[in-house]
Formats: sequence, structure tokens, C-alpha cells
Amino acid sequence: MTLQTTVASAEPYVPGRARSDVRRKILLYSLYLVIAAIFFVPFLWTLTTSFKTIPDSVNVTFFAHPWTTSAWRTLWNDYDFPTYIKNSVFLAVVIVTCNLFLSALGGYAFARLRFPGRELLFLLVLGTLMVPDQLRLLPIFLMMVHWGLYGSFWSYILINLVSAVNLFFMRQYFLTIPRDFEEAAKLDGAGYFKTFWRVMLPLALPAMAALAILQFQGVWNDFFWPLILFGQGNPSHYTLQLGLANLHFNYGTLWPEISAGAVIAILPILVIFLAFQRFFVSGVVSAGVKG
Amino acid sequence: MRGARLREAGWGYGFALVPIAVFGLFFIYPLVYAAYISFFHWGILGKTSSGAGTFNYAKVLHDPVFRTALKNIAEYTVVVVPLEMALGLLLALAINQKIRGRNFFRSAFYFPSIASSVAIVTIILYIFNQNGLFNHIFGLSTDWFGQASTVGWGIVGMNAWTTSGTVMIFYLAALQAISEDLYEAAAVDNTGAWRTFWKITFPLLRPAHFFCLVVFGIGALKLFDQAFLIAGGASGAPNYATMYPIIYIYNAAFTAFDFGLAAAAGVVYFVLIFGLTIIERLTVGRPEPV
Repeated sequence: MTLQTTVASAEPYVPGRARSDVRRKILLYSLYLVIAAIFFVPFLWTLTTSFKTIPDSVNVTFFAHPWTTSAWRTLWNDYDFPTYIKNSVFLAVVIVTCNLFLSALGGYAFARLRFPGRELLFLLVLGTLMVPDQLRLLPIFLMMVHWGLYGSFWSYILINLVSAVNLFFMRQYFLTIPRDFEEAAKLDGAGYFKTFWRVMLPLALPAMAALAILQFQGVWNDFFWPLILFGQGNPSHYTLQLGLANLHFNYGTLWPEISAGAVIAILPILVIFLAFQRFFVSGVVSAGVKG
Repeated sequence: MRGARLREAGWGYGFALVPIAVFGLFFIYPLVYAAYISFFHWGILGKTSSGAGTFNYAKVLHDPVFRTALKNIAEYTVVVVPLEMALGLLLALAINQKIRGRNFFRSAFYFPSIASSVAIVTIILYIFNQNGLFNHIFGLSTDWFGQASTVGWGIVGMNAWTTSGTVMIFYLAALQAISEDLYEAAAVDNTGAWRTFWKITFPLLRPAHFFCLVVFGIGALKLFDQAFLIAGGASGAPNYATMYPIIYIYNAAFTAFDFGLAAAAGVVYFVLIFGLTIIERLTVGRPEPV
């Protein structure tokens, strides 16, 4: 190994390298731009379509002609999108807050506090990752009907209070924090909750930021559980994704309106993604299963 | 000393109490409950007093629609997972070059992965409708998502497009863990880029291959949103081409209100996936996180 490194550190001289390098670069960049276009153009196309008139939306032109905000106004005034947005934001904020608190609390307990049966209970936590939604859907539906919570926000909040992925993620993070901090707090006479709240939680902020972002995205994008729990009920509980799906089911060719809805569905996630890319990527890699 | 231990245990239980309750109530208990429901004739008005024995299981296993669902999901998974992995690996290799603007390209490639399934489906349906952009560019008039012969491929293409960005992130992490020394040694030996890739990079990515195979394989088996949105419900339209197992379960539960059948189908499908996971672990090994 050492031999290889020393040999390799001497740059081998290759004639004509500079020119082929430039050509290679140009080729690579054009390739990237083509791929980036394939990944991006559909979204830009959607954005411009949302400013088209309905007859114009069947024309295969990129720019709207004439340019109108009529689709946006229709969504706002005739299709209850403000309610859908409000519902989605409400659910996302409540669920992110609950997950932050509960998974940090639980993660800390499993990382640091000793109690009988801890390993067994932790296996139970990991085991929940194996239980697929297609098995849970019917029992949870029936439980919610039985408890009179079917069709209410409570049902969705309850099943999403805390997730095993998040708890596992927080536990792993707490395990990387040196014990010195807690011991110092203990010497100062801080109790368990105070140590957790005042010492450990601030240290875990980077992990919590990643968790908050991924959980927000999860709730904002979720279609399956809102469909099960309030998809058949009254539209006043529709989330943004349900509202958009409903628009698509009922008015499948109102392309400007649907495009505007899709833009609203994507925009907050795009903004968060651009602002916090680092957390997004590290979170996805370490949470793994979330992919 | 004993008191301090007890106190620590008390706080430990206290901290973990709510998560454990949530997991028990909404994950472990439903598992048992689903199995219980599957042994009853259970409809919208509740269950019949006497059990149904294995009636629901026999019905699922003999239902040609369920077989179609299994066939569809098998075809889908076998095509989409290698496609996602190949595309994701290509994107990761592209991003891993020393170029300016890497971060921009990485964001661009990853972006479809973070958009919601509903938004993606509406956008794709717009671009691929009969008079849409895609047909216009290629001079076609195929109704890609409206006919049984192409809708499955449409879903494959759409999900390969959106998921390859996530696959890329995992491969990128794995690529960056490969030591530079190896590439430098290959450069000294004048090994070509193609050979370097197949002899060094690809074999060293083995853990990432296994990881992606398992994670995205299980993900593919859970296909629901896209099929439901394209078909406009759980009917499997057109002609059962969008009938996948979870669509079948949803349809049995919320269209036919045959809860016993839906639960039995859920159990059967769970056992199938579980069996596959075990076989995969025994044959290709244990997946390691990247």
C-alpha cells in the first residue's frame, strides 16, 4: 500500500493530455446539461403551463401566450386550495414537532439510560420497520372508525406521532456524543430531564434539523395515509396532495389548474431543499430506509 | 446506589413510554389484528360471529385478479430496480467527477426524488398525454398511460426517473469512500477508464449494490400511489394493467368492503415479501448500510 502511494504521487507525463482534457470536459458538460434538462424541463414546463389559458395549454409551446394568472385564481377561489394548504401545513408542523420531541426523548433513553428490557424493547422498535403499510392499513382504518376518529386530523397525527426511523436516527446521534457532557451536568446536580433538555438536545441540533426536514417532506408529500383516513370523507380535511389528486380525477384536462396545483405541491419542498441541501443528503444517507 | 439505578430506570421507561406505546398500538397490534380479521367474514357491518376458517385465504389464492396483481408487480420490480440502479450509478459516476458546478448537477438530478407522487404523476400525464410534449417531439400519437399495453412501462419509466436520484445519493456516498490510491495505481498502470470502472469501482461498490437492491426492491414491491392516480382509483384500469397487490388490497377493503379478503391478501403478500427477503439474504448476503 505504501509503495503504491509513493509511486502514484509522481504525476506521469502523458503527451497531448491538455487538449484531450478540454475535449473531455466539453463532452462531459454537454452530457450533464442534457441530463439536467431531462430532470428539470418537466418542472419548468409545468410552471409555464400554470400561466396558460386552457386552449393554450394543449399547444406545445414553452411560453404562455397570452400570459394569465386565471388558473391560480381559480385554484384559490373555486377549488379550496387555501384550505388544503392550511391542512397540509398544520399536519406537517404538528407531526414534525411531535417527532422531534418524542424521537429525541426515546432515542436518548435507548442510547444512554439503563433500564431492564431495554434491548428487547429496542428490537421491538426496529421490528416496526418490518411491518408494511399494506398490513396496517385495514386494522388502523377499523381502529379509527371504532374510536370515532376516522376522518379527523387526530387519526393521522396519532399514527405519525413518532417513527422508528426517526427514533433510531436520534439514538445513533446521541451515541456519538461524548459522555463528558452529561457527567458535567450531573455534577452540577441536574436531573435526567434537565440533562436531556438543556445539555443533550442542543448538542443534537444538526440531527434534529435533518430529521425535521425529512419528516416535513414525508408528511407534505404523503398520499397513501391521508387517502385512507380522510380521502372518502369531507373535502374540508383534504391535504394538498389529496386536493390535487381530486382535481386530477375530476378535471383531468384542466392542465393550467393542475399545473398550478403541482407547482404548489412542489414549491415548499424545493425551497427547503435548496436552503438545506446538506441536511437533506446526509439525512437520506444515514436514515437509509427512508429512501 | 440501588435507588439511583431505580431512578434511572424509571426515567428511562418514562422517556421511552410514548414511542413504545405508539409502536405497540399502531405497528405491532395491527399485525395481530390483521391476521385475526383474515379468519372472519368481515364486512362494513362488522364480522360474522363464526369464523371463516381459511375461506379468505383460499379465495385470495384462487382469485385470478390477485394473480394478475402478483404477475404485474413481479414484472415491474424485475425491470424497474435494475433500471433505477443503473441510472443512479451513472448519475453518481457523473457527479463524482472533479468538475465545476457539481452541486448544481447533483441537485438537478436529485430533485425529482423529493417531489410528491401526486405532482409527479400529474406532470408526467400532462407531458405524455396523447397531444402532449413527448408525442409532439417524437411525432407519435400513443396514449402512453391510457392503454393496457403501455401503462406498465410508463410507470416503470416514471419511477425510474424519480427514484434514480435517490439511488445516486447512496452510490455517491459509496464512491466517495473508495480510496484515491487505487485509482492512482490504475492510472500508473495506464489502465483505461472502462477497465478501471469494471475492475476496481464496480466490485468495490458491492455493499452499495446489495443495499440498493434490498431497499429499492422492497420499495418497488410497495407500488401504490402512481397506479392509483393513473387509473383514477383501485380498479386496475385499463384491463387490470395497473392492478398491483396493494391496489388489490385497497380495492378489496374500500370498494368491495370485504375486509376479511383484504386482510388475507395483506398477510399473503407480507409473507411473500418476507420470504423473498430471507431468500435474498441467504443467497446474496446481508445488506450493509453504505
